[in-house]
Amino acid sequence: MTTRRKRTAAALAATGLVLAGAIGGLGPSTSTASSHREAPLIASDPAADNTDLYAFVSPDRPGYVTMIANWIPFEEPNGGPNFYPFATDAAYKINVDSDGDAKADAVFRWTFKNVDKRGNQTFLYNNGPVTSLDDENLLFRQTYTLQSSFDGQPFKTRIKDAPVAPSWTGAASMPNYQTLRDQATVGLPGGWKLYAGQADDPFFLDLRVFDLLYGGDLSGTGQDTLAGYNVNTLALQVPFKDVALKGDAQRNPVIGVWTTTERNRVRITGDSALTNDRVQVSRLGNPLVNEVVVPAGLKDAFNSISPDKDAGIPAVVQRVTDPELPKLIQGIYQIPAPATPRNDLVEIFLTGITTKANGPIKADLNSQLNNKDVRASRFRPSEMLRLNLGVPVAATPNRLGVLGGDLQGFPNGRRLTDDAVDISIQAVEGAAQTGKLVDALAAGDKVDANDQQFGASFPYVALPNMGAVNSNRSPVVATEPPAATGPSASSAPGPVALKPASADQDSSRDRWLIVALSVGAVAVVLFLVVLAWLRRRARV
Amino acid sequence: MRHHLRIVSIVSVTALAVFAAGAILGLRETPPVVRTAGAAPAAAPADRQAQAIARAQDRLRELPRDHQTWAALGVAYVERARITADPSLYPRAEGALERSLAVRDNPDALVGLGALANARHDFAAARTYATRALRTNAYDANAFGVLADALTQLGDRAGATAAIQKMLDLRPGLAAYARASYDLELRGSLDRASSLMEQALAAAADPADIAFCRGQLADLAFSRGDLAGASAHLDAGLAAEPHYQPLLRGRARVLAARGLLAPALADAAKVAARTPTPDTLLEYAQLLRLAGQDPSRQLDLADAAHRVFQANGGRDDLTGAQLALARGDQATAVRLARAEFARRPFPDVADALAQALHQSGQDKAALGYARRAVAAAPSSAAYTWHLAQISLTLGDRSSALVQLRRTRSLNPHFSPADGPTAARALAALEAHR
Repeated sequence: MTTRRKRTAAALAATGLVLAGAIGGLGPSTSTASSHREAPLIASDPAADNTDLYAFVSPDRPGYVTMIANWIPFEEPNGGPNFYPFATDAAYKINVDSDGDAKADAVFRWTFKNVDKRGNQTFLYNNGPVTSLDDENLLFRQTYTLQSSFDGQPFKTRIKDAPVAPSWTGAASMPNYQTLRDQATVGLPGGWKLYAGQADDPFFLDLRVFDLLYGGDLSGTGQDTLAGYNVNTLALQVPFKDVALKGDAQRNPVIGVWTTTERNRVRITGDSALTNDRVQVSRLGNPLVNEVVVPAGLKDAFNSISPDKDAGIPAVVQRVTDPELPKLIQGIYQIPAPATPRNDLVEIFLTGITTKANGPIKADLNSQLNNKDVRASRFRPSEMLRLNLGVPVAATPNRLGVLGGDLQGFPNGRRLTDDAVDISIQAVEGAAQTGKLVDALAAGDKVDANDQQFGASFPYVALPNMGAVNSNRSPVVATEPPAATGPSASSAPGPVALKPASADQDSSRDRWLIVALSVGAVAVVLFLVVLAWLRRRARV
Repeated sequence: MRHHLRIVSIVSVTALAVFAAGAILGLRETPPVVRTAGAAPAAAPADRQAQAIARAQDRLRELPRDHQTWAALGVAYVERARITADPSLYPRAEGALERSLAVRDNPDALVGLGALANARHDFAAARTYATRALRTNAYDANAFGVLADALTQLGDRAGATAAIQKMLDLRPGLAAYARASYDLELRGSLDRASSLMEQALAAAADPADIAFCRGQLADLAFSRGDLAGASAHLDAGLAAEPHYQPLLRGRARVLAARGLLAPALADAAKVAARTPTPDTLLEYAQLLRLAGQDPSRQLDLADAAHRVFQANGGRDDLTGAQLALARGDQATAVRLARAEFARRPFPDVADALAQALHQSGQDKAALGYARRAVAAAPSSAAYTWHLAQISLTLGDRSSALVQLRRTRSLNPHFSPADGPTAARALAALEAHR
């Protein structure tokens, strides 16, 4: 045996010994770190969490339309340093269809970047008072790029590195949020105005109206369930001509608006993980439709498709013409469900209110088919929030919108002060086929206005709430109940618009009243739809 | 050490209570998430999940027939159980989800029950729930997530990959990226797995989700032997969520790999005290053993924690087998590992079964399972090491050499106990050539 062989044998023996030692010890090194990895399933996804869309003619700036889209409900202003960033891996879009083909003719696209100076040493967003957006104490902030595309042309960048107003992180940290708001309100050539940042959630309601659907009653309502919470707001104001068909809002006053968020598609089969393909992760237009008109089994599909595909899905149309919720209500309140098929609903949700689509509502309010330059043959029924820019700004907006005789309001677009819940409930009063009010519904949700006063100028939304949401439900900045937005906003109005318009007089006011009357005929269902929509808002 | 005595008694009492009442209140040394008021430096970011649970509970007190909120609450409990490693939430999740279904058959509750079944390691049931949910809603990304998790464990790799791709096509975002990353990792594409996890991190909003992504990135770095990269991710994750236990676990692992046994023990002790699961206790025991201390108390606790998991409706014979191995009860380990493998031929289970057979002297039987584990998860240094051990015992030195070299190139730090052993074995074999 050579020396070398001896050495090897000894080494191997040693190896064997060492191995035996390991085996005789505690056992194998467990590979539990990779064993049954439990990944998050319901991760919060701010990009997909869009809550509300508003679109209205700017009350203080004739000829300009304001669109406000909100994301991330239930942002708490209290309880330590909360920060609610926009997603940096998604594109946020506001889409406008002016020719009725259910494809966007104007697209406004926001993408966000983080400017993060925190390193790995702290998770705090500021390390001292923040008095301006470029304050060095502000360790984390976001900027955005806004791009726009018209008539299918390539996107053009309108502004880069525009500032986002941060989440409010405390009175000591941000003593004057209005300053930050003002610095984040940006003007662009062409008269555009932009705001991105935190705001009070403008939606006001009492979520407990859901009691209706779960066998309860409305006795406990009257509290604004969203009072005190904040949202992330994207607001945009542009001249009519930038969104109206052929730039002519006189001839073509109706637009349809919806928001989407998108991410790049990822593939795990094949060579390349990233593609240029985009996946739409959420969609929101007329908020009444998303959960209800669409069957439960299709709601995720609906979030992922573009409006031009809506009418091609038989299940969606079938659901519109034969909705489920009136039957539920019938079971609870013995209000007979209207006879099906509900072609009136097709008109409300998929075409806009018009006499030109053979629908049962004999009025022209907010369908692109009423635009003079629309080619009717290319019109495609689809779900979006439709707004007639030609309806004059109401001097005293009525929270009940169209059904309160104020045709500038919801469901003709949507203003911040429109009471989406009670509009529908009052509609029930005037339009139920029995002619009788369901007493339990008369007062609606008893929340008639937002807890914070809206602003008179862009971006209109109230500053973020700064008090603890859950301590006493009286936010710091709300020192007194907000003034009514108009005389009719706080008094319970008689359903003026629902009285028969006895004569076809020549004033435009009366013409709109007829529209309102016609709309009332389908309002029962609007109410039901609102309820279901609210359920979406209330999800965990 | 006072901790541990306290925990021993608490766990013992608690384990009894569990069998009686199905709850393990008081098991934890500290609440998993500590919220402090104000903007003091120690303040934790808002716990959105806790807020969502509280809102759902409030709502259900008034609206006990709101099936959607019941389903959402059940799912939130499952997520909470995952983050806090607290199986006592399983029965509560089950109650909420059953309540939802009792009001109305709905896919959200089915998805929740599927997620719960996955958490309890009942992967076949999870597959059934997900399939039922998809029958109602074929575009439900969450249902595809549950299905993917189940199929992965059940050994249907192609099916799992397809389900994950569906999830990516429907709802690209953290939940889909995390699963896609894992799928790529299992297939050995560590780089792509890491870049998808980076994407998940970019999509993460909640501190717990950020921490999860950082933890996965750290694990991926560690599994490549990149201790510095792992360390950086762990620090960043702990800055976002100081209470997320898997990050502390990872840090203990990195410290031990660097030979810093004392701080590693401190981290492992903290983790085992806060989330006393069989995994964390076994890891702690292993480090104690390495430091020349008696690990038997931790093994007792691990047994108790395993019983708690089972008392809350879980079934996990893989952990049972590992506990038996740690005790030197090879026969039980083989029996349990076989039972688990029959239910889910997942690489981890194949590896554990191979180890159990190897240690009970059945190396010929062990060889096939060890090879299977290595083939199914080619980037695991622990599996190649285990295969090398079996090959050596069978006298197949050339195969052992190949596997030991793979172990070294994959991750020489894979285990503070076995890593040095593997290195010595490789040195000996290479010297012999």
